[in-house]
Amino acid sequence: MKKSVFIPGLLAVAALVSACSSMPSSTSLLEQTRVDYAVARSNQNVAIYAQPEMNRAAEALGHANEAANKNRSGEKIDELAYIAKQKIALAQEVGRQKSAEAEVANAGHERDRIRLEQRTNEADKAKLDAQIARSETTEAQARADRLEAQLADMSARKTKRGMVITLSDVLFGTDLARLNQDGMRTAKKLADVLQQNPQRTVLIEGFADSTGSASHNQALSDRRAMAVSNALQEMGVARERITTRGYGESHPVAANDTDQNRQLNRRVEIIFSDAYGKVLAR
Amino acid sequence: MKKYSKQCAVVLCGIVFLITAGCSSMKTPATADVAVSKAAVENAAGAGGAEFAPVEMASARQKLVLANKAMAEKDYKQASILANEAEADAKLAQGKARSAKAQAAAEALDADIRFMREELNRVNP
Repeated sequence: MKKSVFIPGLLAVAALVSACSSMPSSTSLLEQTRVDYAVARSNQNVAIYAQPEMNRAAEALGHANEAANKNRSGEKIDELAYIAKQKIALAQEVGRQKSAEAEVANAGHERDRIRLEQRTNEADKAKLDAQIARSETTEAQARADRLEAQLADMSARKTKRGMVITLSDVLFGTDLARLNQDGMRTAKKLADVLQQNPQRTVLIEGFADSTGSASHNQALSDRRAMAVSNALQEMGVARERITTRGYGESHPVAANDTDQNRQLNRRVEIIFSDAYGKVLAR
Repeated sequence: MKKYSKQCAVVLCGIVFLITAGCSSMKTPATADVAVSKAAVENAAGAGGAEFAPVEMASARQKLVLANKAMAEKDYKQASILANEAEADAKLAQGKARSAKAQAAAEALDADIRFMREELNRVNP
């Protein structure tokens, strides 16, 4: 009875003693280093990019653990743990560095891809722009050709300032301020052309011969220009598309020596604008 | 008696030899450790350690100074310990500098790409 209690008791004491003696010493630095190691182990970048550094860190931690297991002094354990801790931190940094470098490499490809896309788009756009410009030019040319053809009926002249139509003296009534029937027919044609070419405007210039006073001639040229303007407006041409100007007896087209020449000088000139509504001033 | 004193002399000689060998065997690796550590500190400084990892860099420099002092005092064991720690600090400083630079480059490129993408979307909606 006594013996049966004694033996297990002895065994328990022996177990405790042996447990004590085999209990490894540790330090807070070593504990912290083990935590650091576990964190680094679970880091994906470290696993991918910093395996050699991690192996060296594991070796260093192994030395520290061994010192702890052999119950070396806390100072000795800390020395080794410190080295291991720095090596683990280095593995983390290498993981960060290499993953950033990989990102740079990928980003470089991405950047090249975007640049290519950008250039392709630019080229496409340039092509499209050229096409648009070409078709616009063609269209503008076609419109100009059409206008010329339409005005040709009215014996329009092509000048530096644009297409010019001259309404001679014979198209004005005897009261001088209104167009006669022939004049109104010509005005109707003009109005039609203006309706068909909405981007054009007209400058109406009145002229007189040198008979009579300059002020009388100025007033006459003004009135005749206004007469054409009024006729066009009556036929539905917007007022803002028409500019009138009287030049009196200046700018004659013939010498004021014969009746026939003086009649040539009594005239109204209608200048068609360019496609942007601009007319060069005289 | 005479034979005993001769034996004694041999033993003494052996002890002296062992001590000397021990000392010199401590001196050589310590010298090497300090040299390696010095190179590591220089590399780290060259890589921008002082800028990107000032704490580790200062620690490495201080430990290297102390290691040299220990060498001068013939405390080779302490010199080795300090040199090893200085080396670990310096390597970490270098790693931090490199990683900071790589991360800055990645961020700059990222910003570049973001800008280009916005530009691309703006031009070609």
